[in-house]
Amino acid sequence: MGSINRRTKPLESAISVLLLAILLFIGLAVFAKQFKYDMSRFGIEQAPAHYPSHRPQVVPNHELDLTSLNPENFQPLSKTEVYGHHNLYEKINGKASLYLDSGFTKLLTRRFISKDDENLWAELFVYDMAAPRNAFSVYTVQRRVDAVPLGIADPNYAYRTANALYFVNARYYIELVGSAESQPLLAAMVKISDNLRKRLPVNNLTDIADSTLFPPENIVPGSIKLYLTNAFGFQDLTDTFTAKYKLPNETVTAFISRQPDSLKAATVAQSYYNFLIENGGTTKQASNEALHGRIIDFYDTTEIIVPAGPFVAGIHEAQNQNSAEDLALTLLNRLNEAAKAKTDDRAKRQTVR
Amino acid sequence: MTEQKDKPFDRRRLLTRTGKAAFSIAAASAVSYLAYDDKPPLPGSAAQKLVTLPDFSLPHLPGQTISIVEGPNRTKTVNKAIELLGGIKRFVQPGETVVIKPNIAFASSPILGATTHPQLVAEIVRLCLKTARAKRVYVIDNPINDPASGFMLSGISKAATAAGAKIVLPNNHLFRHTTLTGGRLIKNWPVFFAPLEKAHKLIGVAPVKDHHRSGASMTMKNWYGLLGGRRNIFHQDINTIIAELAMMVRPTLVILDGTEVMMTNGPTGGSLSDLRRADTLIASCDQVAADSFGSSFLNLNVSDLPYLAKAQKAGAGTTDYQSLKPKFAAVD
Repeated sequence: MGSINRRTKPLESAISVLLLAILLFIGLAVFAKQFKYDMSRFGIEQAPAHYPSHRPQVVPNHELDLTSLNPENFQPLSKTEVYGHHNLYEKINGKASLYLDSGFTKLLTRRFISKDDENLWAELFVYDMAAPRNAFSVYTVQRRVDAVPLGIADPNYAYRTANALYFVNARYYIELVGSAESQPLLAAMVKISDNLRKRLPVNNLTDIADSTLFPPENIVPGSIKLYLTNAFGFQDLTDTFTAKYKLPNETVTAFISRQPDSLKAATVAQSYYNFLIENGGTTKQASNEALHGRIIDFYDTTEIIVPAGPFVAGIHEAQNQNSAEDLALTLLNRLNEAAKAKTDDRAKRQTVR
Repeated sequence: MTEQKDKPFDRRRLLTRTGKAAFSIAAASAVSYLAYDDKPPLPGSAAQKLVTLPDFSLPHLPGQTISIVEGPNRTKTVNKAIELLGGIKRFVQPGETVVIKPNIAFASSPILGATTHPQLVAEIVRLCLKTARAKRVYVIDNPINDPASGFMLSGISKAATAAGAKIVLPNNHLFRHTTLTGGRLIKNWPVFFAPLEKAHKLIGVAPVKDHHRSGASMTMKNWYGLLGGRRNIFHQDINTIIAELAMMVRPTLVILDGTEVMMTNGPTGGSLSDLRRADTLIASCDQVAADSFGSSFLNLNVSDLPYLAKAQKAGAGTTDYQSLKPKFAAVD
């Protein structure tokens, strides 16, 4: 084997320098590019490894099954998602506190989409509020002004708007929100709600029976609301039903708040009275003896607060004192009749025994 | 060279050299393998430096700080509103990168008014790219609901990309931690920083909405979508966090859309009956002024929204929008 001539030719040197330059250029380009990458290609959501996952869990075998609810011309757009106390805000953000303060335990959601039109889709929200009273409360305080009876249940417990359905069934508050104002979509949502109602418990609403104590004359249909706490900004006014009444020249609010007993009712009534006085109200003369010392002028509106057995009842923000007093007396009579009926019923049962 | 020239190149030398080369390659590969890290830097790690958001604001011009335009067509009203402030070329220069921050909090249909209207986003993208000749426009948000669903169902991804923008979905490696100087809540908190770091201008676009916690959600509350982490804890002190967001984010321009206002059941809404047409759009270099005017859409006073006074006190803008001599107009 002979020796090798290792002397490089100028052409070889030039090629080597060129290759090294190319490699250097590629290296620099890669280095520079990493600072100028296209974020839109890399910004895909990933589950963070170091934070606990707060994304909704997909629960295929939950007690309330939201599969197969859709009519034939619709199909599921998403899987069932479930939210609890810790992540409800991820679904409804600032409105979460409304539910969390009202006994919320769980939210199940699912979307459905038309097979014929991708612009027609709806999202089902099923809030488990633990008790019918809680469900009724969140249902009523959000009731829309253009509510139309839904026809699938008592109009006090179900309504629709141009693009959505809302109803309460046992401990569940349900919303079906459509993506558009569309008759086919509305029909599909009604079908979904029908299918869902077959899977829900029997609609036992006995614990909101106090709502029937309002006098029916002149009541605005669908206006009853239930505030579990802090009605009219007063902390002690709990479990308060309100109803709107259409009077000759105005619409006023009547209220009933059930307390544990008549003693507590009297205390709360006096506390609320004092609260209004402390905040700028002044005592007003009553034209009816039964309401003496119970009427306050609160910035040119009339407030009436009366204890009636285990209830605190009254009128809120009325413009006309005489009309307000008439309505307050009607309400008091109704509450007294109810209390008397209950006492008579108890006496009858004792006699039978 | 002399040695190479003189020594014979036999099999032994070939094997020796091959062995050395193989060892070098193996050693380099081993070092690379041991040093390779497939994970991005973890937010909050000791090694991560705190960042400060760039100040995107421009000097205010007398009489050209806030404009209020009435009209039912968002495309027309936003064009007129920006024109009254000097035109888009005042705010965006050729070759610049612009970030647009709409409100895409929820994966809901645009007709519900819970998110910024896609038509409005698309028109602002078009103005930046076509009229002002921006180099690129990013549309970003960190929605409360699933981000991909939010961008898609709100109609914004389709409208914005059709207009030429790029969508940036939130990802951990795009967040950096920041602390607001003088802030009480924003301390070592992750923000959607990477797109802003690359940007020259920032435009916020928000609808006017009722909000169960804060009373109203407008341009200042819209910056909530730049926060990461367990941001819901800030709802405990909602007025302070909104004021701090206005201190932290200094936008070039904000657009407040009052074409359809969510009057009740906000911030999610759900029914068309939650909306009321106000047919008004505001463009402003002062976000506090824009929101102060916007409160009237919800039949609120400035004093009904405590975060406005807080933000003014912190120097983020003025609640006295009249002092800025707003320009008014109406378009069909």
